[in-house]
Amino acid sequence: MENVIEVKNLTKEYKNLKAIDNLSFNVYEGEILGLLGPNGSGKSTTINCILSLLNYQSGNIKIFSKKMEPNSYDIKKDIGVIFQDVAVFNELTVYENIDYFCGLYIKDKILRKEYVFDAIKLVGLEDFVKFYPKQLSGGLLRRLNIACGIAHKPRLIFLDEPTVAVDPQSRNNILDGIKQLRDNGATIIYTTHYMEEVELLCDRIIILDKGKIIAEGSSDELKKNATTVEKITVELTSITKEIIDKIETLKNIDDVYINDNIVVITYKKDANNLEKLIDLLKDNNVSYNSIFSERPTLNDVFLELTGKDLRD
Amino acid sequence: MFFHNFRYSLKILTRNRTLLFWTFIFPILLGTFFYLAFSDIEKNETLDVINIAIIPNDSYKNNKIYNEAFKKLSDKKNKDRLFNIKYIDETRAKKLLNKKKITGYLNFEDEDIKITVLTSGINETILRYVIDEVKSEETIINTLVKNEAMNDIKKGNYNIDYNKIYMNANKLLNSDDIKIKDISNNNLSYTMIEYYTLIAMAALYGSIISMFITNYYLANMNSIGKRVSISKISKFKLLFSGLLSSYIIQVFGLLLLFLYTIFVLKVDYGTNFNLVMLLSLVSVLAGLSLGVAVSVLIKKNDNAKTGILIGITMLGCFLSGMMGITMKYIVDKNIPILNLINPASMITDGFYALYYYNTLDRYYFDIISLVLFSAIMLVISIKSLRRQKYDSI
Repeated sequence: MENVIEVKNLTKEYKNLKAIDNLSFNVYEGEILGLLGPNGSGKSTTINCILSLLNYQSGNIKIFSKKMEPNSYDIKKDIGVIFQDVAVFNELTVYENIDYFCGLYIKDKILRKEYVFDAIKLVGLEDFVKFYPKQLSGGLLRRLNIACGIAHKPRLIFLDEPTVAVDPQSRNNILDGIKQLRDNGATIIYTTHYMEEVELLCDRIIILDKGKIIAEGSSDELKKNATTVEKITVELTSITKEIIDKIETLKNIDDVYINDNIVVITYKKDANNLEKLIDLLKDNNVSYNSIFSERPTLNDVFLELTGKDLRD
Repeated sequence: MFFHNFRYSLKILTRNRTLLFWTFIFPILLGTFFYLAFSDIEKNETLDVINIAIIPNDSYKNNKIYNEAFKKLSDKKNKDRLFNIKYIDETRAKKLLNKKKITGYLNFEDEDIKITVLTSGINETILRYVIDEVKSEETIINTLVKNEAMNDIKKGNYNIDYNKIYMNANKLLNSDDIKIKDISNNNLSYTMIEYYTLIAMAALYGSIISMFITNYYLANMNSIGKRVSISKISKFKLLFSGLLSSYIIQVFGLLLLFLYTIFVLKVDYGTNFNLVMLLSLVSVLAGLSLGVAVSVLIKKNDNAKTGILIGITMLGCFLSGMMGITMKYIVDKNIPILNLINPASMITDGFYALYYYNTLDRYYFDIISLVLFSAIMLVISIKSLRRQKYDSI
């Protein structure tokens, strides 16, 4: 696959803080790359450096095999950006907003009109074209924000946390739209701290913490590297020290967390753990309201790697 | 793409109610306030005759122009007379001044006229205006006399009749070819300065419009700025198309203000309306350039930048006489350099020069100063925009 973005040894410092620390990675044509990390991990800074908005101390950035500079208009024409904050004009309607941003790239009025309606359709704003941003809900506003960034049909799209504070219906609509963009051939860099979205959308994931890459790979590859292989959550009717002691004697257990009546047990090996736990509870006449087993999530992977929850 | 951005900038600006208020409504409200506040005061003030003294020394006696001027201005038969003049020696004049029996006294010392006043008030300012005006007439007459004399000498006529030349010059001055202001009590309106500063203020408020639109092209200001910065359109195209749309709106706002002040408030901007418009167009450019510079150079949010611009405009207008003409004189006499960096002063002074002065030298000096001010603001802004990358956003 062809390299769309090459980042080599990128370092960005703010006074005493190293926001990005010798970062190197590639983005390949047609993929959705997820940049995952907690707030302050360097996701947005990385994007701003790639887009040549921010100065950086060292490193090389190439997009479409060309060095990215503030005046690289031949590169910029193929880039679309959706930032965390909604970037639309309150004085313009939905249609006018999309037309304005599309018009910064597409001169031909007939073609532009077609592109604008394609974008409106993609994000499902057909019924709101004459609405002003203030008349839209948070979710619809986010959709408009996306339409403004992708109406000119860019080859490379940056989506920086596009679903923050969005209702489930709009979120699904946005995620469907992003998949459609990828299916249409766009390369996408997607930053978020919602691991469900990353798992659902991304072909490859880079986990960032303190400006460094701490893991890289597909969702499955990352999970395979985790030491935890299974997690069982059981809600007991009552908890005694005796039963906890007995659970801890079971084989393969990594850790036991207790929160009120809920006990979460993590395992290092997968070997009929659920069955053995149910047997133990039955043998000791301990009743429970619910019990379920799950594979480790990206959040678990992140927790293992950094000691922090992804949404901290 | 220039016209695309221009068209949408116009839409954005004309749909922003806050900007429309500051551009169109506020200056009209303030003009109405001036009218209500000052028209009665001025009507009452015109009834007062100002008591002054002149030291009747040889310099004064030999100066026909001043003799003639003060004779006319203190003629008791004239119902619009401006001065009641006592011709007394300096010691007596000082005493009368200290007792506040006179506003001030004039002492003619060769080429110079010394004006002595106790305080800075309206009467003192009028006295100064009159001296300025007569000085201006004197310069014209002297030039005419000199030219006539030179012509006579060139023709080989060495028996020059200065009296005849003076009479000819005086006749010329009273013809329609040379504009001399009527500085009688009836015609001398010191509140005109208030309206001039109002125009200056309205023109400089254009800075808020250009600041507002320029902020949308700066990645460190907002997300729209980031998105626009990543587009394939150059910042210069964006800046100049945005500036053009701001210019059109601001000129329209200023035209409305002119129409309102001329037809409703009956403000007289003088006879040369083309030059009034030229000054207004240049003033708008200066205001917009100031807004661009503040937008690009100051790393603060929208509200802070608006506050800075309103502050600069109000302070500038205050120093150029908006809250009282006396301030203009204080600055003129004590810190004249302020007038060279204060666009409000340049605008006010331009209108003042058009209305009160016989020649256009001062007017064109103000026009050139405003053009230079605009050019400096824009060049600094463009240079700064060239950096384009930010240390933090």
